[in-house]
Amino acid sequence: MGAVTDDEVIRKRLLIDGDGAGDDRKINLLLKSFSKWCNSPLTPEEGFTQYQRMLGTLAQCEFSMGKTLMVYDMNLREMENYEKIYTDIEQNITSAHEKIAECKKEILRAKRIRKNRQEYDALAKVIQQHPDRHETLKQLEALDKELQQLSHIKENVDAKLELRKKQFHVLLSTIQELQQTLENDEKSENDDNNQGSPAGNSE
Amino acid sequence: MGPVELLHMSVFSQSFSPCGRFLAAGNNYGEIALFSLSAALSPDATALSQKPVLTFTAHEGPVFSLLSTNCHLLSAGNGEISAWSWNELIKKNVKPMWTKRPNYKSSLEIPEINAMIINPRDNSLVVGGGDNNIHILDLEHGVFKAVLQGHSDYVHCVSVREREGEILSGGEDGAVRMWDSRTGQSVHCIEVYKYENCARPQYGKWISCVTTDSDWMLCGGGPHLSLWHLRSLSPTSIFPLKGCQRQAVFHQDMIMSVGEGPFVSHCLLGGDIKAQIPCTPQSLNTLQFNSNSTEHRVLTVGGSSDHIDVFTNLSYRAFSLSF
Repeated sequence: MGAVTDDEVIRKRLLIDGDGAGDDRKINLLLKSFSKWCNSPLTPEEGFTQYQRMLGTLAQCEFSMGKTLMVYDMNLREMENYEKIYTDIEQNITSAHEKIAECKKEILRAKRIRKNRQEYDALAKVIQQHPDRHETLKQLEALDKELQQLSHIKENVDAKLELRKKQFHVLLSTIQELQQTLENDEKSENDDNNQGSPAGNSE
Repeated sequence: MGPVELLHMSVFSQSFSPCGRFLAAGNNYGEIALFSLSAALSPDATALSQKPVLTFTAHEGPVFSLLSTNCHLLSAGNGEISAWSWNELIKKNVKPMWTKRPNYKSSLEIPEINAMIINPRDNSLVVGGGDNNIHILDLEHGVFKAVLQGHSDYVHCVSVREREGEILSGGEDGAVRMWDSRTGQSVHCIEVYKYENCARPQYGKWISCVTTDSDWMLCGGGPHLSLWHLRSLSPTSIFPLKGCQRQAVFHQDMIMSVGEGPFVSHCLLGGDIKAQIPCTPQSLNTLQFNSNSTEHRVLTVGGSSDHIDVFTNLSYRAFSLSF
């Protein structure tokens, strides 16, 4: 890896993922130190220390890789969690909308009921002002009975009057007839007397 | 429009477009202004969006009544009725589709038209005016087909009882008359001022607002605003509102009414006044609820001012549109 390409790669890596540059550099250094360790003539202690150092770097790299894997897992699970919460909230919103629509319908229904009740009350007030039907019927019945009684009495009185009239008529006509008869008798007596005396006179 | 004219302006009538996005308002100078509700109600509304998008002179006299059908705006002023197409008005093209005048007997004086309403049973327009008569215009054929005579003074307001097909009219003579729309005869005549609990002799006997929802009727004006049961023709509730009411509507379970006094009164059917919401104009002439659109369900009121108050929530005034 030349110095120029290194810079470019580092720039690109920084642009993409700044943190990864450190790990990548570590892996490159490890590779370099490994090739140096294999090729350069070193004393056994130095070689051993180099070997230990390389193992340490390797462990560091593995550790950071393990960390990134775990972070990746965590992100995935976090995303799932958020998705779940998102769908929950959406459901809540839709159910709240439905509830609002229901409540609005309820309000309209309640207003209609209240209006009907008020109309009923208003009419009831007017009706209350008029007297009770039963009482009026009873009054009417009583008046009817009185009327019947009075007309009955009137009939009786009329009948009596008629009867008396007829009786008086009979009486009066009898008296008149008698009077007539008496007058006739007197007249005929007078006539007889008159006739008798001229007749006697003429004899 | 100078400041003095604005000061003396009164809004007499309002109507919403069939799509529910525009409001047309008529004033005493014979002008009709078109306001865009979608602009005024949008979150980024400015003071300019509360001004009209279009103002034009519709009649020579005050526009006392405005009515919207499915595609037309009908306006009444100076004794004539003009029809404008809503689509054309939205495109700012002010040319009336037609203008008609009922047959008035006297040609000397032109009686004004105070109220119009559509009778949906036979698609006719019921017009009540200053010549004491109610004229019925057949909207399909465009001819005046009937005249209902019976009032002895001018007609203030008309309403239609849809289920029974009757027309109700209230007039200056204090009588609310019910007419059968087919025979044109007066079926009932209620003289509201003769009922002791309704009458207010200090204000007079005139009836300026009549509205009905087939079983019940609200009427008021000189006498108290009262709720009547139409089957038994008896007053069931009297609303103890000060001042004369000029328009009242049934809304869900309550009654909203406007009149003298700078507020909208909310009342319950039992006769209680639930609330009185303050408004800008000193006295109100017209109240209209936008039921044509679901996003712009507002209540607008107009009166003796160049401002029209808009209520998005019935309990408080949100903002005002101005001419």
